[in-house]
Amino acid sequence: MVFLFNIFYQLGDSLAFLLLAAIGLAVIFGMMKIINLAHGEFITVGAYGTVVSGKIFNLPLPIAMAFGVIVTIIFGLILEKFIIRYLYGRPLDSVVATWGISLIVSQSFLVIFGPSYEGLQTPMGNFQLGEFSYSEYRIFLIVFALFLLLLLYYLFMKTSFGTLARATIENPSISSSMGVDVKNIYTATFAIGAGLAGVTGALYAPTMTIVPSIGQAFIVSAFITVVTAGASPFVGLVPAAAFLGTVQTSVTFFYKSTIGLIAILCAVILIIRYLPNGFSGLILKTRSK
Amino acid sequence: MTKINYKKNKLQIITFIILGALPLFMDSYYLDNISYFMCWTFISLGLAVIWGMGGILSFGQTAFFGLAGYGFSVISINFLGVAGVSLWSIVLALILTGVFGLIVGYFLFYGGIYDVFVGIVTLAITLVFETFMQQTAGPEYAIGTARLNGFNGMQGMPTIGFESIPFGLIEGVTQYYFMLILAIITLIALYKFKSSKMGLIFLASKEDRERVSSLGHNVQKVQLIAFTIASILAGISGILYTNWGGYITPDSMGLVSAALPVVYVAASGKKDFFSVFIGCIFFVWLSQTLAINGKQFAIIVMGFILVIATRFFPDGIILMLKNKLISKVKWLQS
Repeated sequence: MVFLFNIFYQLGDSLAFLLLAAIGLAVIFGMMKIINLAHGEFITVGAYGTVVSGKIFNLPLPIAMAFGVIVTIIFGLILEKFIIRYLYGRPLDSVVATWGISLIVSQSFLVIFGPSYEGLQTPMGNFQLGEFSYSEYRIFLIVFALFLLLLLYYLFMKTSFGTLARATIENPSISSSMGVDVKNIYTATFAIGAGLAGVTGALYAPTMTIVPSIGQAFIVSAFITVVTAGASPFVGLVPAAAFLGTVQTSVTFFYKSTIGLIAILCAVILIIRYLPNGFSGLILKTRSK
Repeated sequence: MTKINYKKNKLQIITFIILGALPLFMDSYYLDNISYFMCWTFISLGLAVIWGMGGILSFGQTAFFGLAGYGFSVISINFLGVAGVSLWSIVLALILTGVFGLIVGYFLFYGGIYDVFVGIVTLAITLVFETFMQQTAGPEYAIGTARLNGFNGMQGMPTIGFESIPFGLIEGVTQYYFMLILAIITLIALYKFKSSKMGLIFLASKEDRERVSSLGHNVQKVQLIAFTIASILAGISGILYTNWGGYITPDSMGLVSAALPVVYVAASGKKDFFSVFIGCIFFVWLSQTLAINGKQFAIIVMGFILVIATRFFPDGIILMLKNKLISKVKWLQS
């Protein structure tokens, strides 16, 4: 029983990490077809925003987190206005430009805040099961990740903003001629993606040592999850994260964590080759049969 | 094959004459630096071939760079003392890299992977290499007598060349001329490739893959060949880099290192090989100069150059300057 729970806990932890890492990227990539290589740095901004405001102003954690998210959204909006906006429809250029942004941000954080920053304490307590101790916060992260996904589903599928956004992504020129303000929709979608990355950074800020390269830990996981999920993030994200989480956890269990990373990188290479539309493509195909 | 019109390439010829004359009045310290800048031109030229000509953006050229560097080190350390080891170990390392490039390219293009997904797959490959090499610190990770050494990377490979001949070792002035001549040969070969039938098919495939293949050309084969050329060029850089510094580390295959060739090519002008050559030397020099105050400053500036170049000069800064210069100076045109 404890053994089973242990496995469930490890898997859930890995699932939550992959889901939260990917969710902002999935919105930006899935909806706008922009490959945002600066996604990891958005997460860094969220994490630093939380920790720095928490330390300097002695804010309670939830408020510091909200501050971190707001800072990330503002950061995303500025980038969209001055750079990303000009690269819609030029997918390779958007990759290159966001890669540049990622270099600038991660190295600037290194210059400003030094190689590591004292983190916050992990909130909530621990609970005991048999001889093992588990963090309640980690359980909260799993639940929160799923809640966030549901919220997004509601936003993009059930609200009028969601309808306009999907219409714009489907066909910008027709939407525009129907009176949709295409520019604002893009900006808003990008801001939502940035905000979600900020949420991820804020949520993980109290669980790890904050280093400027923190984004790199997320970006690789984020990419492989989004690619594995395929074109329709709402359908594909959970199975993709579950699959990759299982691969990573089991390989890590038998070997070591670096080999676990290698295993999921190899898994994603094979998925791109044999399942080019990812899990969502697979699911939608079987459903339509 | 078209002949190269030397009258139209005065700028190139002048540049190479100047570069060839540099050792006459330059101290060996600066010369070694320029050799270092030049060793990055090959990986950049390879990226310019697949990205500039064929629209295939690979983020993982550093995988081939590292594979060749490590391959060269492992082979030459294992056969230390065997005659000419440093020379044929280069050939073996390049064959290894080329075969790997062929396999990856086959997997990509015959597997129907295109656009940004090529980038993600190649990035994943280079990160797999980096992650694997980082954890090879233990003594169990050795190939023959060569320890892989984890984070610290490999050292102790012999310098390329012949010790018995004066100036026979690829170091100092010899290294400089070796790289310069290799670069000139590479540039001429790439210009010929660009104007060959295969090169034209490759150029056309960037605009419309399906149309070119419906005209009866084997697009996949051409893409595969170009990709293999690019991987071998990245391998040449890897070997020259390893020989220049006497070491190779997993870092050279990481996320930041993988970005650098993309910066050099995008900022220089991916459609023109000569601009890439000059731009690569310039930008490596720039980042080295900036790195005096800390590597992070250099990377920040490189990031800015990348953003500004893609946002305002999508054709490349160096190419734009080159075209301006040629249009201002009448003598260069005819």
